[in-house]
Amino acid sequence: MKNDIDFQKVITAFKDKYEVDLVALAFIQPAQLEYVLTWQYAIGNINNRLKRIVLQSGKGIAGQVFKSGKPMHVPNVVTEYPERDLFNYPIIVSEKIKSFCALPLYRKNKVQGVLLLGYREEDKMTYELFEKVIYNIHIDFPKYYGKEMAKN
Amino acid sequence: MTNNAHSELVDSLIGMYENSSEAFFFFNKDNKLLHLNPIAKEIVDTDAIDAMLEGQERSICQTCKGYTNTTELISCENCYFSDPKQDFSSFQVYLDTKDIGVLPYVASFHTIDSEKGTKVLILRNLTKLLETRELLFKNTTIKQIIKAQEDERKRISRELHDSVAQEILSSLVDLRLMKYLKSPEEVSQKVQHMEASLTRLLDEIRNMSVELRPSSLDDLGIEAALRSHFKWIEKNYGLVVHYKSEIKGKRFLNEIETVVYRICQESILNALKYADVDEVNVELYEKDDNLILKIVDDGIGFDTSQRVFKGTGLGLFGMKERAELVGGKLSIMSSMGKGTEVLLYIPLKER
Repeated sequence: MKNDIDFQKVITAFKDKYEVDLVALAFIQPAQLEYVLTWQYAIGNINNRLKRIVLQSGKGIAGQVFKSGKPMHVPNVVTEYPERDLFNYPIIVSEKIKSFCALPLYRKNKVQGVLLLGYREEDKMTYELFEKVIYNIHIDFPKYYGKEMAKN
Repeated sequence: MTNNAHSELVDSLIGMYENSSEAFFFFNKDNKLLHLNPIAKEIVDTDAIDAMLEGQERSICQTCKGYTNTTELISCENCYFSDPKQDFSSFQVYLDTKDIGVLPYVASFHTIDSEKGTKVLILRNLTKLLETRELLFKNTTIKQIIKAQEDERKRISRELHDSVAQEILSSLVDLRLMKYLKSPEEVSQKVQHMEASLTRLLDEIRNMSVELRPSSLDDLGIEAALRSHFKWIEKNYGLVVHYKSEIKGKRFLNEIETVVYRICQESILNALKYADVDEVNVELYEKDDNLILKIVDDGIGFDTSQRVFKGTGLGLFGMKERAELVGGKLSIMSSMGKGTEVLLYIPLKER
């Protein structure tokens, strides 16, 4: 289903277009009845810790976006997350992300993946930029869209 | 000063000397004891007093067991008495007292007549002060423990509410909807959807249960429980734990296994939160009737002498307490930029 797109190329284009420090892409993989969500593609990452993580629905950034189906915008990690809760967001810690947004990727009206765009500097992911990313997602990301489509 | 005022002062001084709760010892330049007040006589053993009055060398060591310096609680290094180069205007000293044994005293030792070289040693009993301080420490720790307990309950409650209750509710709605579905295809699709949702729920409940206390710890033992915990850590946080166990599946007392498991869990979590590493080494082995757990990372480390807490400050304290519960010893070695090593010894003999 998704083999027809070169995702590494797509996220590289994202990195260049928005000049972000990190782009990561998580997809669900069908494993019997369960959902297995893993960060399969990344560019700009410091280490490979994020690729080892198997995400749980409802937990962490990808988990929350995946479960709610809504995009997430955190302009400043330092002020919005207390330091002692931060370890619940391993990707933020290991990649030293200070400002980010995460979007659901829909296909056939189901969340198929999560796209994360992150900066290592505070307040760089502004609301305007966040809006722009959402607005352009169907252009930047062929065959996927960012919102649930109303039926009919 | 008028004669009158002077004699008043002398009277006051004598009164203080006779009735004070502080012990006074006056020494001449050769460290021979000149005078001591009644309370001092009560504290110190008569033989020791006689030896000091005679000016025998090191006679004070019969009662003084050492003082607290920056490296040791009880030390004789740079003795305040025989070699008073540093400032000894206030320090803690340990005295072997008459009948009661070794007690801590707050002391000051200084020269009051530089021409004759007369010196005075003043002692004040510290027992009461220390008791108060210990109680204060205990009370504040208990407060923190209660708070931590409440936080933990809050977390579990929230998790139950957010994941378990929510998934059940969604399944319930699906179930109610079934009545109104007409075609068998629709029903089959709904059933499939519910099955997936219930499987997810089962998974989440299992996860929570293991997080609270792994049943494998009771059923399969420490070796297996740690192995599955490390797998869980890697899956959830991406931290790789290199695990070397040489106990060959051996089982220990339940309380020992719990202590090892919890201390290991806490250490790994510390490494995860603060060390800025993505690999940790864990070794578990037996040596000379000791069970030894070693957790090493080469992260940013921390200054063990500085009490600056990044978290609640209860973690390390709890680890030490747990180790002591089974008569074990925990040591934490770390310095800035040199990584951290946690070493746990649990004696297995005499049980």
